[in-house]
Amino acid sequence: MIQLIAFYLFAVMVVGSAALTIFARNPVHSVLWLILAFFNAAGLMLLAGAEFIAMLLIIVYVGAVAVLFLFVVMMLDIDFAELRSGFARYAPLGVLLIVVLAAEMIFAVGAWSAGSLALSQRIAPTPDEIPNIQALGTLIYTRYLFIFEAAGLVLLVAMIGAIVLTHRARGGVRVQNVWQQNKRRPQDAVRNINQPVGQGVEL
Amino acid sequence: MSMIASLALTLPELILSTGALLLLLVAAWGGDGSSRLISWASVALLAIAGLSLGCANGVAFDGLYKADAFSNFAKALVYAAAAVSILIAPRFFEARGAMRAEYPILILLSSVGMGMMVSATDLLTLYVGLELQSLAAYVLASFMRRDSRSAEAGLKYFVLGALASGILLYGISLLYGFTGTTQFGGVATALGDGISHGELFGLVFVMAGLAFKISAVPFHMWTPDVYEGAPTPVTAFFASAPKVAAMALLVRIAVDAMGPATSSWQQIVIFAALASTILGGVAAIGQVNIKRLLAYSSINNVGFALFGLAAGTPDGVAATMSYMAVYIVMTLGSFLCVLQMRNAAGDAVEDIASLSGLSRTRPGLAAAFAIFMFSLAGIPPLFGFWPKFLVFDALVAIGLWPLAMIGIATSVIGAFYYLKIVKTMYFDEPAPAYAPSASRMENGLIALSAVAVSPLGYLAIPLLGALSMAAARALF
Amino acid sequence: MREKPLVDLSQYLPILLFLGVALAISGAFVVLPMIVNRLTGTAKPNPDKLAEYECGFPAFEDSRAQFDVRFYLVAILFIVFDLEAAFLYPWAVSLGGIGLTGWASMMLFLVELGIGFAYAWKKGALDWE
Repeated sequence: MIQLIAFYLFAVMVVGSAALTIFARNPVHSVLWLILAFFNAAGLMLLAGAEFIAMLLIIVYVGAVAVLFLFVVMMLDIDFAELRSGFARYAPLGVLLIVVLAAEMIFAVGAWSAGSLALSQRIAPTPDEIPNIQALGTLIYTRYLFIFEAAGLVLLVAMIGAIVLTHRARGGVRVQNVWQQNKRRPQDAVRNINQPVGQGVEL
Repeated sequence: MSMIASLALTLPELILSTGALLLLLVAAWGGDGSSRLISWASVALLAIAGLSLGCANGVAFDGLYKADAFSNFAKALVYAAAAVSILIAPRFFEARGAMRAEYPILILLSSVGMGMMVSATDLLTLYVGLELQSLAAYVLASFMRRDSRSAEAGLKYFVLGALASGILLYGISLLYGFTGTTQFGGVATALGDGISHGELFGLVFVMAGLAFKISAVPFHMWTPDVYEGAPTPVTAFFASAPKVAAMALLVRIAVDAMGPATSSWQQIVIFAALASTILGGVAAIGQVNIKRLLAYSSINNVGFALFGLAAGTPDGVAATMSYMAVYIVMTLGSFLCVLQMRNAAGDAVEDIASLSGLSRTRPGLAAAFAIFMFSLAGIPPLFGFWPKFLVFDALVAIGLWPLAMIGIATSVIGAFYYLKIVKTMYFDEPAPAYAPSASRMENGLIALSAVAVSPLGYLAIPLLGALSMAAARALF
Repeated sequence: MREKPLVDLSQYLPILLFLGVALAISGAFVVLPMIVNRLTGTAKPNPDKLAEYECGFPAFEDSRAQFDVRFYLVAILFIVFDLEAAFLYPWAVSLGGIGLTGWASMMLFLVELGIGFAYAWKKGALDWE
């Protein structure tokens, strides 16, 4: 019973906040609604028994992706009036997309009720006795090791790409030089003098 | 299969990725001044990886990865094309003050991704390899970030590529959901007992996502803009290596994973092939920019290569692979010629009108360009005719001769614009001459590829035919 | 998925209680001072007191100042390392069962991104000015 209530709560919140993401007039509000949608999607994942995915949604999507969205929204200087002026022009295309998405949904529901999802013949059925984060761990780092390392390379390319495309060397950057700092001895920096009374300090 | 044996099978990828990581450190400490060193080291790595191909044969990592004659053939083509794209880059970028040490490294990492694509026997390997290749390609497209056209090309490629990845991933998830496995063999087993609607949709979405990567109509719309905007060496890369990799991937997944559902995907492939050849031929006619024209030419040629897959037989697949082999030589040769199109001030010119009378100002370049154009058009004495013949032969062999007739008719349409370029070079009043070529290496590469697609290329038929047939046999 | 029942939610009761307590306490911190100053008669609002005050920024201007593109680079690098960290959780949990192979695969992954980190550092992508 409580599962059902939780499911409908999360589901309604996801759909509602997703709709508000689109309809919010202010893009910053859109991003905030999106974050709410992510949180509720994480709740749905918990209900489905995928705790690790739920945690990933919070850490990666809410913690990093949504923040990046906010940066992008802030970086672009968007004129909202101009943005809205194309609405009538693009409305037919939007309607078309809605029709396609609706057809997909009807199809998905149809397929689901036909009951042909062959989850039982999976090669690696979800074990019930261990938490799924552990189940994932035992697979990712051994059986799927090759893909895992390739995923590391994908991340590396993302990093190189971001640096190649946006980094420029700037003048006036004061870089910390650890070697210089450690090499410095008291006698290089400190001077003991016997200061005579009544005279200025010689610097 | 032990871990060591698996690693030994993936030796080409190991060599390339380890090398790329080390060169990245060199790039960080050496700065952009070390670009040439890194370029040559990258070419050497690609050569070593190419040499290591011969010894590998088998399935690695519990069926995630497979090294066989097919993957070796495709990888050899990919590595060769990647090496050429690295070799031609330094001079082009240095003239614009935009050479960066990351260029060869990104191509290396992209080659790792392409190697994974052609060796993939699991939907996961397929997807991660494709993303690795694409992500590096997006960065390469906007490599000249100060140039607004290059930045635009990168952005368009990224947005549309991300959409295609989404479509592909949706298809993969449907296939996984309805067949219960991500392995090609398992998918084939599940498809063997009749194809359900869910599986059919998964198949369609996977085909659509891959059609985007080989820029087959109706998923071609990014190609002209990206090819025109990206720096020319990058365009040469896009038109060669990733095309081969994506085509090989499409062939493998169609035969290996969806073999039992051949009649389902055959319609899709036939439609894409017909639409690509027709649109690639017709839309190219009005182009004034040579890079845009070559973009439509690549759409057109991918269509012809798809005819081979449409046959669905070992002969057809062998024809497709031979087609890709000859195609990358022709297309790299054409882009090498485009690289020579520089006005007296040394700036690149890309309009076709500037080619006028090239036969009088630069007879050698004009002759080479004409050879590539005739060959791309598939006009008999040149080597470009042979793979077209093979493809149509495979179609006729399974009784699809109406399709072969239509294909031959569209190749006549396509011939029109290739011949128009030849006419511009040989019969029009000379335009201002180009700056003389200063690079012996580029001239040598042009000469080499011109000889390869000239009638002398027919000498390679026994070798190429045997290799592509062995590759195709590995799948069936 | 029909045959599989939804997860037993009672295991999440502690976190629900925790959220409830957090909400109650943070709400109290906001509301209590307002109630107290009403009751003790110190609520004498004037326009200066009611003006928003935050870190010395002027109260009324467009909140969407344009950001430098450098924030983007930092954010991307953050996402990359965030994902790297996310991969560490299942590894840490299952390390007992995956043996030397599992351990080595994570080390290799860390080396890949460590080289990326060295590159970013040396390139000055982490420097501000």
